[in-house]
This record gives sequence, C-alpha cells and structure tokens, in this order.
Amino acid sequence: MALRPLVILAALLPAAPAAAQQAVTSTAPDSVAVTIYRSPQRSPEQAMQLSWLGGYALVTERRTLDIPAGRATIRFEGVAGGMLPESALVTGLPAGAREKNLDADLLTPRSLYARAFGRPVILRRQHGGTGAVTEEPAIIRSGPDGGVIVQTKQGFEAANCGGLNDSLVYPEVPEGLSAKPTLSVETDSPTAGRVTLSLSYLAWGFDWQTNYVMKMREDGRADLTAWVTLASSDPTSFPDATLAVVGGKVNREDQRAYPRRGGGYLRFNCFFRPLAQNMMAPPPPPPPAPMAAGQIIVTARRVEERLQDVPVTVVEEGLGDLKLYRVPVTSTVASNAQKQVAFIAGRPIKVDTYYAADLHGDSTGDVSAMLRSKNRSEDGLGLALPGGPVAVFETLAGEPVLAGESSIADRAIGETVKIRVAPATQVRIAAREVANGQGWNDFEVTVSNARPQSVDFEGRLIVDDSDKAERSTGRLVREDGRSVWKTKVPANGTARLRYRVRRVGG
Amino acid sequence: MRRFVLLIGATMLAAPFPALAQTAPLAARTAQGEVAVTIYNNDLALIQDKRQLSLSAGRSRQEFPDVSAQIRPETVTLSAGGASIVEQNFDYDLLSPAALMDKAVGQTVTVVRTNPATGAESSEAAQVLANNGGTVLKVGNRIEILGGYNGRIVFPSLPPNLRARPTLSVTLDADSGGTRPVTLSYLSRGFGWKADYVALFDEIAGKIDVQGWVTLNNTSGTAFPDAKVLLVAGAVGDGNDNPNYRRGSYQPSGNRPGTESANRERLGDFYVYPIEGRTTVANAQQKQVGFLDVKDVPATKGYYYRNGWLGSLTEAASFDTVLRFTSSRTGGLGDALPAGTVRVYMRDKQGQPQFIGEKTIGHTPMGSSLALKTGEAFDVKVQPMVDKRERIASDEWERSGRYRITEGGSTREVTIDSTITYWRTSMSYKLTNARPEPVTVEVVQAGLDNWWRDTRVPAESVKGTQRSADERVWMVTVPANGEATLTAQFDTRY
Repeated sequence: MALRPLVILAALLPAAPAAAQQAVTSTAPDSVAVTIYRSPQRSPEQAMQLSWLGGYALVTERRTLDIPAGRATIRFEGVAGGMLPESALVTGLPAGAREKNLDADLLTPRSLYARAFGRPVILRRQHGGTGAVTEEPAIIRSGPDGGVIVQTKQGFEAANCGGLNDSLVYPEVPEGLSAKPTLSVETDSPTAGRVTLSLSYLAWGFDWQTNYVMKMREDGRADLTAWVTLASSDPTSFPDATLAVVGGKVNREDQRAYPRRGGGYLRFNCFFRPLAQNMMAPPPPPPPAPMAAGQIIVTARRVEERLQDVPVTVVEEGLGDLKLYRVPVTSTVASNAQKQVAFIAGRPIKVDTYYAADLHGDSTGDVSAMLRSKNRSEDGLGLALPGGPVAVFETLAGEPVLAGESSIADRAIGETVKIRVAPATQVRIAAREVANGQGWNDFEVTVSNARPQSVDFEGRLIVDDSDKAERSTGRLVREDGRSVWKTKVPANGTARLRYRVRRVGG
Repeated sequence: MRRFVLLIGATMLAAPFPALAQTAPLAARTAQGEVAVTIYNNDLALIQDKRQLSLSAGRSRQEFPDVSAQIRPETVTLSAGGASIVEQNFDYDLLSPAALMDKAVGQTVTVVRTNPATGAESSEAAQVLANNGGTVLKVGNRIEILGGYNGRIVFPSLPPNLRARPTLSVTLDADSGGTRPVTLSYLSRGFGWKADYVALFDEIAGKIDVQGWVTLNNTSGTAFPDAKVLLVAGAVGDGNDNPNYRRGSYQPSGNRPGTESANRERLGDFYVYPIEGRTTVANAQQKQVGFLDVKDVPATKGYYYRNGWLGSLTEAASFDTVLRFTSSRTGGLGDALPAGTVRVYMRDKQGQPQFIGEKTIGHTPMGSSLALKTGEAFDVKVQPMVDKRERIASDEWERSGRYRITEGGSTREVTIDSTITYWRTSMSYKLTNARPEPVTVEVVQAGLDNWWRDTRVPAESVKGTQRSADERVWMVTVPANGEATLTAQFDTRY
C-alpha cells in the first residue's frame, strides 16, 4: 500500500526517450598488463606509504566487445579508480574514437536532490512520538546548498526541522548520473561486428620499491637477496595481470589535480544560524579515506630462512633509457594490497668492508662502517640496481643479526655501490690543529681501532676547492673530486695523518 | 490516519501541481536554446545561448534558467530584436531554511504540533518575532522558542527574492508582442582545455607517431547539451602583467620557436579548434577529441646535463634523456601545437607500449624544434669534479684609475695600477655509459658569467662551443659499456 503513490507517480512521468545513439558496455577486460612506476617524490630510503601511494601505473587492457554499425557509445567499466582520463588511449576500433568522455557527475544524495529541483518527490515522515510513518507528495523548491525546502499540500516546509524525521523518496534516477567516473568513447563504425580493442591509461595510487638484504659471510663476500615490493591502493583489482615495474627517473610534470572523491552529502539545515560570535570556520574536508586493512600477499619466503632457489625472479630488460623489470608469470594486482616478487635470489657478491669519515681540519664527521662493491659480473653483480633500502645482516652464533640499515640510489652496471651500514663504535677518530702560520694550518688526525682485527680506514679531506692540502704524511689519492687518505689501522692500534692546508685565496 | 494521508497524496498529484504532467524527461529538460561554447585555456568560456522567447508588448521580466552556475554576471549581454533592455539582475540570495525564516520575521506562519502519544496533529498560527541563534515565536499570547519537539513550521509562501540557485533575470521593453530569438551571451568560469599528446617513439627507426587530443573540462555545474564547441588556443583577458620568465638556459638545446603558419582557423593571434558537429558538454565531464594524428615523424634521442657552477658532485648524476623532433610541415608534425602535455611511450621487448615520461609544452607554432626531457638515463651518468683551483696573475696590467691632483697651482697626474687576479679552475667530467652502444652526450658547464664577462677557456680536451656568456657546451661520445673523461680549464675573475 505504501508503494502505491510511487507507482502512480512514476506512471505520470513520461518515459525517458530512447537514447539518441546505441550504447555498448564493456564490463571487464579479457587480459590486462600493469606496469608500475615509482613515486617521483620518494627517495630510496623512504618507505612506501601504503595509505598514500604517490606512484602510478600504466594499465593496458584488452577487451572484446560487439559494436553496432553507426554511431555508438562504448562505456568501459572495471577500469582503475585512479585513472588519469586524459592519458587514456583506445586502439583497435575500426573507425577510431570520435571523442572520449569521462563522466564524473556521480549519483550522490546531493546530485539527486539538485536534479530533482521543481519536481515531485515523496516526503516520508516518521513521527517522533508514535513512530508512525506517513508519506506525502512534495515538490523540491530549493537548491542543494541551503537545506531541504519542499512544498507540501499545507505550504512550504523545511524538511527534517521539527519533530519529524523526514526523508526523500525519488521516482527515478535522472539520466547522466553514474555510480563511478565512467570512461566512454564515441565511435562510428561502418559495420557491426566483434572487435578486440586495447585500452591503456595511467592511473595513480601505485608504487614499488626494491628491498635489498645482504648477509655477510666469513669469506669477505656477502649473499645478496633483493625483493621487488609493489603496492596498489586502487579500488580495482587486476587479476592475472602481466606485471612489470619501471626503474629510473621518469619525468612527470602534469599539474592536474587528482580527482577528488566524496562531497556528495545533502545536508538538512534548519532555521537558525549560529550568532556571529559563534561563527566557526567550516570543517576541513575529510582526509582521504584510509586504506582498508591492507591485505598483504607475500609470495615469497621469509628472508631469514636459508637462501634457496626462489622460483620466480623479475627479469630486467631495457626500455629506452629506463629499466623495465618484468615478472615472468602473470599475477594478480589486488586492490589495496602489496605483493613481493624476488629480484635477486641469494647470489654471493664481493664486498669490501671499511670505515670512513670526513675530515674538516680540526673537526671530523662520525666514523661509519661501510660496504663497497663494484656492480659488475666479475664481482657477482652486474645488474641495473634500482634504488631502495638495504638491510645488512651479520651472523652471530649461527643466527643472522641485523647489523645496519641503509639505502642505495639507482646504480647502473659498472658503478661503485657504497653502503653506509651503521655508525662505528670501535673505530674512533680525533683531529686537532698542531701548528699554523701565514695562510696555512697543520692538522693531525688519529684513528684508533679497538677491534682485535686490523681495519681499512678512508678519510675524505673536506678542503675548499681553492685551498690546497700538502705536506701529507700519508698518501692522498684523488677520488670523486676530493683527496682521500686510505690507510690500514692495526688491530687494537692507531693510525696517524698530518697534513697542511694552505689557503690560496685571499 | 495513515491511509488517509496516503489517499490525499494520491489524489493531490493531479490537482495542486498541474505542471507535472507536462514536464519533459529529466535529462532533456533544459531551458537552453541553441548553445555555442567557446572555451579558452584559462578557466574561461564564452557562452552564446539563442533562445526563443515569447514577449508581450511593453515591459516584462524574463528569467533565464540553466545558465552556467559559474556565470560572470557582469559580462552578460542580451540581444533581442525589437526589444530593449531596461535592467539586468543577477539574484543570488539563496533559498535556505535559515533565509526563509529570516524573511518570515514579522510574518505569520503555521506551527503544526504532533501529539507524541497519539500522533494527532494540531495547527496554530504564530508570529515570528526574531531568528537570532534561535527562532522566537509568538503563539497566541505566549512567547516560545522553536525547538525540536514543539512543532514544525509551515510557511504560506516563498519570499520572491530567494532563489533556489543564482538566477539571471532581465527586464525587457518590447515594442510588440510575439516570439522572437533572443541571444544571451556571457563569460563563465569552470571551463578549460589543454592538449594531450601521445607520442610513440621508435628508437631504432628514429621515428615517432603522434596523436593529439584536446581535453576539455566542464566544472561549471551546468550541462550544455548539443552545443557547438570552439576551442581557442590562448588565455585571453588574463590581464595580469605577468612577464613569463622563460628559463631558456635550463632547457636542453634544440628548442626553437617556429615561423610557419598552420592551416587552421585563427582568431587574432590564436588558433581555434572547432569540434565537428554538435556535442554535449556535460557537467563534471572531461571530454577528449582528436585533432592530430601523424605517423613516422623523424625524431632523435639525446642526453643533456648542465652543471650549474664550477663545482663537484660527490656522486655521479644521470643525464637527462631528451627527445627531439620538429613541428615543421616537412619532416615534422606539420601543425601548430596547442599547450599541453606530451606523453612519450616506447615499445618493450614484447611490443607493448610502455610509458617513458612526459613533458608539458607551451603553445608551439608550426616549424618549431622541440627538445623534451622525458626522464633521466639510468645507464648514462656524469660526475663533474674540480681537480684544481689556483690563483694566477695576469700579465696584463689594468689602469683602473687616474686622478688629477692640484696642489698649490701645479697639477699632478697620478695613475694607480693594479693587477687583475684570475682564478684557474681545472674541471674533469667523468662520463660513464653502461649501454651496449656508444652514446653522444651534451655536457653544459654554466655559471661562467657571474657579471665579470671575462671568462676564458685556455684548455679543453674536446672542442667546446660557447653557447652564451654563461654556458659552454661540449658534445662527447662515450664508448659502449665504457667511460670517457672530459677536462677543461676555466680562467675566471672570481
């Protein structure tokens, strides 16, 4: 019985006219390829922020659908929620795409109300005391910004203001409002038929990084393992996708704002405004919705386990001046999830361990324990290494112990990879000025080693470009534009350097 | 009781709201006439809306619903044959419960109370005394504050000046009655457009395929169905005197504006891009229409690095990867390019296009050379290092001052001599290439000018060219999987 007015009302409204042109909806892709790019703002040592992934992905979908002859609109559903529509590209249509549209006029309480201006709706009212529910016809008389004002048979009323719990019932959904932003293309095909087309677009809300794990061995080598972790905060899942990630710096500079989500509320405001002194600033917009409890799919074994052959590792291939790392099997990129794939499966590499500090005259920087390796196949490496965090483990009584955490930047083949493992505690340094004169100062540096083994030490002289280091008691080598003192510090002993800095400039 | 209300509801539909039966379907219902929208790049559109208005002779007030919600009312002009404009109004006093109650102060409204136990309703007339932080009512002889459960207010009418949405109204004085076309034109915010280019680069063939799309946005809050749309490549009326400082020296070499004219419609200095046929510009829509599709345009890739001052880097830095092509009629894209974003793709080993970077361009005339940074090369790096910096004295003596001194009638001329001090900086640039083929890189040393304009390069391992007073450029070939070192000396006065 309660439904009857609704039915009558609907019958009174003329039916929507037949769409001017045919519409075809493609609900899901047949196959999809996802290539993930790192966040351009994130440096290698920063962890991915799962709640706000700043990277993006290139999604390439293959879709099959039947298109009619003549003008038709093809709507694509099941695309990534973070799609950047201006990057969308559709190929494979026999007549090409006449135009592409992204319709983001979403079906919300607010848009429903705004579109129903001046039209009949049903006002459903629940009475506070008895709880009885009545329905009566009403006409919407206000815009959605001020509140809800309707005309009933009694007069004009503000809904939900005074004793009754009011809600609005609409006869139909107006045309042009959609549940999600929807991409569509218009085409004008000469013949009807089944086509396979490819839809590609960039989407934000993805990221990836490489995590390196180095396990130091007794023989001066280290076992290197690396994982590629990729994450998606997109609401759409891509099952059985062809997956790849891209390393290197990709130029991104489009300043278009990301589409905002939310904002579809309809407020039932009432009569009184707060007095001026109570006037408050409008509440800030709600923060971006946090990711649903992250479902974490780890396709890898725990790294603490003994290194074994990992079945699947990403394969590097060049892509212009970038590096593309392909996952050789198809895999699912689930919504709001992260996934790990092996990149380097436990290979022994040659590493040098040493200590290093910067020498600034009579003061010094802290001494750090360092690792150095050359990125070449003779030393066990020889891979384009995308930047990322590095965890270094040493073995203590047969168990791995974390010795330090650091990061590396992108390293090409042939480059030297230096890792600052941790601040040193047993190798210390002291510097003092021992003599000076007109335009010169003599400094003395003492490195002390409390370890029972001898260690290598490298001190980098920080001297102005226009000043000169001379009369050094140790050999200085030129490295990366600086003079470096390289020495061996004996077990439980010290090493000493004396040098003069001559000021050339005036 | 409940059934009674429902029956009333059903019968009311036909009677008190007679307009219902004639309403058109929701989507098609717009009061707009024949609409033409001209969209500029800078959040601006000119909307021309030709409506058929039925006017009676003499003065009449006409409302224009369905104009853009972001209309700039001061720009409205109306042309109607045989009618003159008396006044134009733009009312934006919006109808809200609070505004409705404010306007009802001093008026009589109906308070409808519901008995919480029985649900029975009773109505009383009341006078609204004030609406300040609360509504004060006079019901009979009592003064009440309107609260949650002591009744709902029914208003007899809506005040005439409150609008559901901002409304444009014009008072016209027509010399005769009848229907005539009336053209309303105005500027509106909430529109914009730019170009999006898709460039598929084939490195081996040295060619690109480029598609250009114009992307227009309507965030004006209003839909314009079946409109004639024209896009103007320019930002008109952006009257701020905002000189556009181009950081020319920071761009890779090869950007040069062209001097050819494209075969396109023009509007003064601007190119215009009409959209074929009529199209619907829906609210909150982003629409893309293709305007350029060229294949096999020659393109080359290069590497560029600019060292901003005579300094060292402690770690090698990547060269920028630069894509170069032209918009010329011959050997180029053959069109003027409206401002937008160029997204560059390359095919991977499986033949699938992959994104390799993007670059925004300004309005680019036909015949221009473009050099776009798409990203940084993973495998090609440079490390500038200061090898030596020393003071050298020039043999040249400079007469920097000459004074005449007069002492007791005799005049003496004094010349003050000083040497010019030069600094000699020896730089080396370590260039590494981990690619399997040799590459040619462009190394730029900047920061040579520093107001002295007296910089010399006494030695360099590769012959360089002085691009400007500030920049010297070398083109160096780095062998496959190898290294090269470029050295140069700079004599400067700082």
